[in-house]
Amino acid sequence: MISAFRKIWDFAGSEQKNIKTSIVLALLHSVFYALQFAAVFVILKALTGEDRSKINALYAFGIMAVSVIGRIVLNTYSQLQRVHAGYFMVANKRISIGNKLRTVPMGYFSKNNPGQMTAITTTTLTDVENTAPVVLVTILGGFINSVVFALSVLLFDRRIGIIVFIGMAAFIWTTSLQEKHSRKGAPERQRAQETVVEKVLEAVQGISVIKSFHLGETSDSAVKSAIEKSCDKNLAIEKQMTPYQIFQQIVLNLFAVIIMIVSAVLYKNGSMELADAVMMFVASFMVFEQMKSAGISIATLRIAESSIDKANETDNVPVMDEGGKSISLTSHDIAFENVDFSYGERKILDNISFDIKEKTTTAIVGPSGSGKTTMCSLIAHFWDVNSGRVTIGGNDVREFTLDSLMKNISMVFQNVYLFSDTVENNIKFGFPNATHEQVVEAAKKACCHDFIMQLPNGYDTVLEEGGTSLSGGERQRLSIARAILKDSPIIILDEATANVDPENEDRLQAAIEALMEDKTIIMIAHRLKTVRKADQILVLDSGHIVQHGTHAELEKQEGIYSRFIRQREQAESWHIAGQNA
Amino acid sequence: MEKKSSPFSLIMQYAGSHNNKYVCSVILAIISVVCGMVPYFAVAKMVTAMTGHEDKDLSFFAGWCTAAAVGYIAKGIFNGISTGVSHTATYLTMKEIRLKLISKLTRMPMGTILGSPSGYYKDVIVDRVEGIEVPLAHLLPEMTANVLAPVLMLIYLFTLDWRLALISLITIPVGMAVMSTTMKSYGENYGKSVEIGGRMTNAIVEYMGGIEVIKAFSQSKSSYEKYETAVNDNAAFFYGWMKSAQWAMSAYNAITPSVLLTVLPFGFLFYSSGSLSAESFITMIIISLGLLEPLIAAMNYTDNIARVGTVMGQINDVLASPEISRTDKDRDISGNTIEFRNVTFSYDDEKEALKNVSLLIPEGKVTALVGASGSGKSTVAKLIAGFWDVNDGELLIGGRNVRDIPLEVQAGRIAYVEQNNFLFDETVMENIRKGRASATDEEVIAAAKAAGCDEFIRGLDKSYHTVVGSAGGHLSGGERQRIAIARAMLKDAPIVILDEATAYIDPENEAVIQNAIAKLVQGKTVIVIAHRLSTITDADNIIVMNDGAVAAHGKHKELLENSELYRSMWQAHTGTKGGAAE
Repeated sequence: MISAFRKIWDFAGSEQKNIKTSIVLALLHSVFYALQFAAVFVILKALTGEDRSKINALYAFGIMAVSVIGRIVLNTYSQLQRVHAGYFMVANKRISIGNKLRTVPMGYFSKNNPGQMTAITTTTLTDVENTAPVVLVTILGGFINSVVFALSVLLFDRRIGIIVFIGMAAFIWTTSLQEKHSRKGAPERQRAQETVVEKVLEAVQGISVIKSFHLGETSDSAVKSAIEKSCDKNLAIEKQMTPYQIFQQIVLNLFAVIIMIVSAVLYKNGSMELADAVMMFVASFMVFEQMKSAGISIATLRIAESSIDKANETDNVPVMDEGGKSISLTSHDIAFENVDFSYGERKILDNISFDIKEKTTTAIVGPSGSGKTTMCSLIAHFWDVNSGRVTIGGNDVREFTLDSLMKNISMVFQNVYLFSDTVENNIKFGFPNATHEQVVEAAKKACCHDFIMQLPNGYDTVLEEGGTSLSGGERQRLSIARAILKDSPIIILDEATANVDPENEDRLQAAIEALMEDKTIIMIAHRLKTVRKADQILVLDSGHIVQHGTHAELEKQEGIYSRFIRQREQAESWHIAGQNA
Repeated sequence: MEKKSSPFSLIMQYAGSHNNKYVCSVILAIISVVCGMVPYFAVAKMVTAMTGHEDKDLSFFAGWCTAAAVGYIAKGIFNGISTGVSHTATYLTMKEIRLKLISKLTRMPMGTILGSPSGYYKDVIVDRVEGIEVPLAHLLPEMTANVLAPVLMLIYLFTLDWRLALISLITIPVGMAVMSTTMKSYGENYGKSVEIGGRMTNAIVEYMGGIEVIKAFSQSKSSYEKYETAVNDNAAFFYGWMKSAQWAMSAYNAITPSVLLTVLPFGFLFYSSGSLSAESFITMIIISLGLLEPLIAAMNYTDNIARVGTVMGQINDVLASPEISRTDKDRDISGNTIEFRNVTFSYDDEKEALKNVSLLIPEGKVTALVGASGSGKSTVAKLIAGFWDVNDGELLIGGRNVRDIPLEVQAGRIAYVEQNNFLFDETVMENIRKGRASATDEEVIAAAKAAGCDEFIRGLDKSYHTVVGSAGGHLSGGERQRIAIARAMLKDAPIVILDEATAYIDPENEAVIQNAIAKLVQGKTVIVIAHRLSTITDADNIIVMNDGAVAAHGKHKELLENSELYRSMWQAHTGTKGGAAE
């Protein structure tokens, strides 16, 4: 439990002072809450003393009014501090995650789905916002309140005060007992829940397979049994926990009864005054209230803790040293010098060296998994090399700031991302100062103009997030228009990803050719036409450059390249025969 | 009130046979409440005895203290069991709701499901339903108990002194009046909060989803600033809202349960004027202390009711969505000829994807569907595969309207191969075996060999027993596709639909995939959607779709002569096609 408090406390960061203030105010709040005892005591004193003067009514009302007004004021400020802490500590975490993403290696995002991080930043952090500060203030405040109550009882009557303290200790003990047991069941419950998620996702995403292969029943039963199992787990835990919950509830109440018994005995043997004894009877109902609500909140503490743990996972994202300089280049020659690169344990590139002259086209060919994509992404410094270096215009890519490096490079991405902004703003994303005419010109070159004009508001049409209202090819061409407008001297592209919309292949090809005009091109090539025209071809196999030259040179050698050419010829001339053929 | 009652009637409907558990839980909660009142009476008895200076001996006190203890223990036990029973009923109800949703999925058009973001149904079935656990489990028993307890105590107060009982109620309307001052602007603020929260979520989604683009286009500074502003605006708005409303909420929370504020002074006035005995007064003070706890608890339930209501609404949206209408009679089809008779179909009731389409796909032939995107060719294929029902007209397979055959029978005759093929999170062996559950390991391996995937499967960590699918397995798109083809081969369905199945998904292995497909389609009724026209020039029949209608059909050579549209498509295609054809 202490570790959970610690986590929330650390998480709060600069909002710690607000939480502190909130707890102090909550403490004062409890003093005003306790004033109710004083009001009751005034009346009891008068009743037992047969004092019928009406002024007592005024006293009682006065004290109660002070108690209520004090509680309103202190609760307002205590809550506001707490709410401030909740919203702003989460806002700060969100901002720090956003800030961190600026220094994460670009390659991280091609390997990891950003969806996970988005989910943490939105949903998980909202959970933290709603639970962490409430729980901290309720539990800590509740415990402190109880101690204040107990202390005031102690001052009132030492013997009863001691009973109150013992009662609180017993409650804490049963609570931690319950806590321990509920923790035991939690992982199993979690696993059952995860299975439900998995099976439901499978049933949804695989619905066409399930239906077409008659899997309705078997797959249904998999989901159903996952749901049944998760339900059974919950029921089992509930059953197991019920006695503890009952025990926890009863403990405090039994101590309330002990207070009654002791007060009665003390009154009977004359060592406690009548009014005091009556007061203690009344107090037995109220003295443990705060403790109880603090105890109930412990379940929420667990939720807060696990949400914070999840949010803190974002701390494990790798960062790259961002200490580069802003370099402007005069030449755009690219060179790999003895580059080694491993992803985790796996060696991807092994001692790679080659040169690319500026304004030439280099085609990279090789089987899947040979390291083509990795090689391209090292040029853009998506990752740090393990040894050797990658240079552009003679400068190591590690010496650049990301911004000054990326100014020189356009990449045609596998996943085109469009913002929920107008078409125009999407195109000029990399060049915010572009005029409308420049945007249109780029769109025309990328063969986007026609379909843009058919959108409801032309260039001012606001796209859905991710651009889902457009076809794959249209999105791809918009991203090419964006790259054309950016006009970087180096273009990196994978021909396969440029073929997402086979129906408009011709227009995509035209767009790509417009982009490539007069540039330094590195492309993962699949089309025969492309490799034939390339100035140089690099043939990669298992992280090594095994062949290197022009089409004319390599065609004659027996090797991967000639095999590649034969396969491509076969693939490109393939057709489905008619059944009568 | 109408709105508030509806979620409960819905829950009762889903709870079904577990209703009696809820009833039981409520009864236990009531018993618990009654037991919980015993200590108050016990204390009232003891205190009145003391203040009345009755000379009671210790056994009197011992007796009432025991009564209080028994009351407390019984309260704890009954309350614990009540919550336990209610939780049990809730878990069972959640299960019922989930099972209902799952079985609903099987009756919905596949297209509807596949057309929603993949997380949507998971969100409803898992997360939303999970969200009602706490409110639902605690709501019924505790709400009953916490409303009932003060009511019972009030009745007792009225029997003691109706004036003071009435006065003890004053704080409730006062508290509510204070609270209502903030409710006026609540609607407006709530609307704004949704808007600002939505803006922040969008900013986060865009920033993270687009981070690659943002960095590649050197916009990380400006995009980050936008993100930061949205995040801060959100926090500032909520804080500002709280700031304006907090005092009223605090006042409500402080005033409403403070019955002593009125009971103490007025009670004393009645006492001093002689119209209320000291004994009754003390009893009333003690009883009104018991009003506090449940009243505070009851206050916290309004939120829960709203939350359960929202969730039940979302669940109902899914359960009430249109279903695919098919016969449940077990009928088979003879023959595999496919015919569209005046078929009209729309995805969204706005734009017609197919307009009065009639076409014939003969058994045992290769029919190609070509046309621009949005021309309706994919819709034709999806209707044949049973993703949707036609709106108008008839779709016949083997001469029988598909409405008169169960979806399973229709689906059983068709192998649908697309670019993105779903694999289950199971072994490669089991994934292929989905094609035919009765297939032996040898048959699975034979299909894998025919589909050209035996070699790479053997290269995996655990060969055929490697687990693939969403979680792991790191298979490339082309590898997944070949496994899907092996699965389809095992199924050996008489109708094969290839939906862009030969696209550039895995250029390195395109030839292998092509060989696999050639084997798959041998002797079958084949419907192929292909972008690269050169792959379908030998098709027995080519149907050219345009704007939801059939523009032309015939063999490649005939179409080149007769159809201008086809001719221009062919020119566009050969213009870009590199390689051997040149």
